[in-house]
Amino acid sequence: MESSVIAERHGTEVTGCPVMHHDFSKTREMGDYWALANELRESCPHFYNKYAEGGYWVFTRHDAVNDIYKTPEIFSSASITPWEPDPIYRFVPTQVDAPDHIKYRRILNPWFSPKAMEAAGPMIRETCRSFIEPIVPRGECDFFEEFALRFPTAAFLSVIGVPTSYTEVFVGWVDAFFGGFGGDPEGAAGMATALGEMRVFWSEQLENRRREGHREGDLFSYLLESTFDDEPIDDEVLLDMCTVLTLAGLDTTRAELAYMFHHLAQHPEHRRRLLDEPEIIPLAVEETLRYYTIIFGDGRKVTRDVEFHGVQLKKGDMVYGLVSGANRDPRHWERADEFVIDRKRNNHFGFASGPHRCLGMHLARREMAIAVDEWLKVIPDFELATDAQLFERGGGAMMSLSTLPLRWEVKS
Amino acid sequence: MGGEVVKLQISTACQGHGRCYTLAPQMLTSDDEGYVTIRGGDPIDVPEELIDLAREVEGTCPESAISLLD
Repeated sequence: MESSVIAERHGTEVTGCPVMHHDFSKTREMGDYWALANELRESCPHFYNKYAEGGYWVFTRHDAVNDIYKTPEIFSSASITPWEPDPIYRFVPTQVDAPDHIKYRRILNPWFSPKAMEAAGPMIRETCRSFIEPIVPRGECDFFEEFALRFPTAAFLSVIGVPTSYTEVFVGWVDAFFGGFGGDPEGAAGMATALGEMRVFWSEQLENRRREGHREGDLFSYLLESTFDDEPIDDEVLLDMCTVLTLAGLDTTRAELAYMFHHLAQHPEHRRRLLDEPEIIPLAVEETLRYYTIIFGDGRKVTRDVEFHGVQLKKGDMVYGLVSGANRDPRHWERADEFVIDRKRNNHFGFASGPHRCLGMHLARREMAIAVDEWLKVIPDFELATDAQLFERGGGAMMSLSTLPLRWEVKS
Repeated sequence: MGGEVVKLQISTACQGHGRCYTLAPQMLTSDDEGYVTIRGGDPIDVPEELIDLAREVEGTCPESAISLLD
C-alpha cells in the first residue's frame, strides 16, 4: 500500500499515514526485529508510532533514512531517542549539532582513528587471546557472557588508559544503563544510578590526572590538554564525553559480536572460508554490520516545518530512521536478504552516516576482526549448544542477545 | 577499453568510514583523523587494472563521497 497522500499531524490526530503502536524495547525471539523492519518497510515508507507519549514518525526505507542522515540541519541530534525528546543524559558530541559538533569530533577523531587503532592492534589481540585461552579446553561456553561482554570492555579500557581490572564494574554500569535506555520505566532508576556512578568515576579520573600530571596513552590526560575554541574543555562536557564513549563503545560491540558468532556457529562453510581467506574477514565484519545490524532505528529532532518524503513534518517533531529496514531494503541492495560474506559495495548504515557516524567504528571493526581471527585459529569448528529459542532485547534502538551457548570438540 | 581514462575523485562529504581505503589501499589511504586521501593527488587517473576495484570503492561509501569520472 504505497501512501501517496501527504501525511500530516493535527494535534494528536495523524492523517494520511498509517498509525502503529509498537514498543521497540521489548524482548522478542531472535531475528524478529529484522523481520519486523522488513514487514514495516514493505508495507509503507512511513508510519506514525503512537506508542510513546506524543508519538513520532518512522521512515522505513533506504532513501529516506539516507536523507535524514545527510540533512543534519533539518534533522538535529539534540535527541536521538524519539520516545524521549528530552533525555536526562547529554551525550557529547553525539547530541551536539553544527557548528560545535565538528570541533568536538576533531578532538576525538585522532584518538580513535584507523592509524591509532592499528597501533593498538597488538594490545587488543593480546587482550582477546587472554579471554579465549581459558575457554578452549572446556569445549563449551556462554559466548555472550564470557567473551562478548568482557573482551570489548577490556579492550576499550586499555585503549583509553583505564586498568582492565575495572572490566567487571563497567559491564555492570552498561547493563544497568541500557535497562532504561529503551524507555522501559522499570529500568529508569537503574539507568539513573549507573549514570551517576559513572560520572563519579570519570570525575575521580580527571581529578587524579590534574593532581598527578600527564600520562602517556591516557585519554583523560589528552582531553584535559585539549582545547575547544582555544579554551580548556568544560568539566561537565568532559564528563558527558566520557559517558557516551563508554556506553556507545561497550554495549554495541558485544551485541554485534554475538550475532556474528551465532551466524558462524550455523554456517560451517563461512567459517571455512574465513580460515582459508583471512583477508576477507574485514568484508565479513562489514556484512555482519549490514545484515545483522543491531541498530533498529536512529532518532532525530526536526528543526523546522518541512515536507519530507510525503510527510508534513513540524518543528519539534521526532523522526526515527529505520536503519534495520534500510540495511536490507531491496530497492537499494542486490541480494538484500542474503548474508554475502565478501560483499564489497557495502555502504550500510550500521555505523550511521553523515557527520555523526560512529566515532568508535575503527575500534569496533578491529575488535570484531581480531575476535574472529583468534577464535577460528583455536576453535575452527563450533556449534550452538542449545535447541532452545534465543531471544533479543529491543532496547528501543539497539538489539542484543543476552546469551549464546556454544560448544566444540576438545582435541587432546 | 583502449584509451579509456577514468578519474577518481573525493568530495568533502567524506566522514572517515574507511571502507574505501580498506578495499583499495593501492589507491587510497587515510589522514590522522581517518578521512580519506588519494595517493598521488586528487583526482587521479585510475590504472586500467584497478578500474573494476574503483567501481566497488565508489559503491562502498555511505556518504557517496567518491566519484568516478569516465
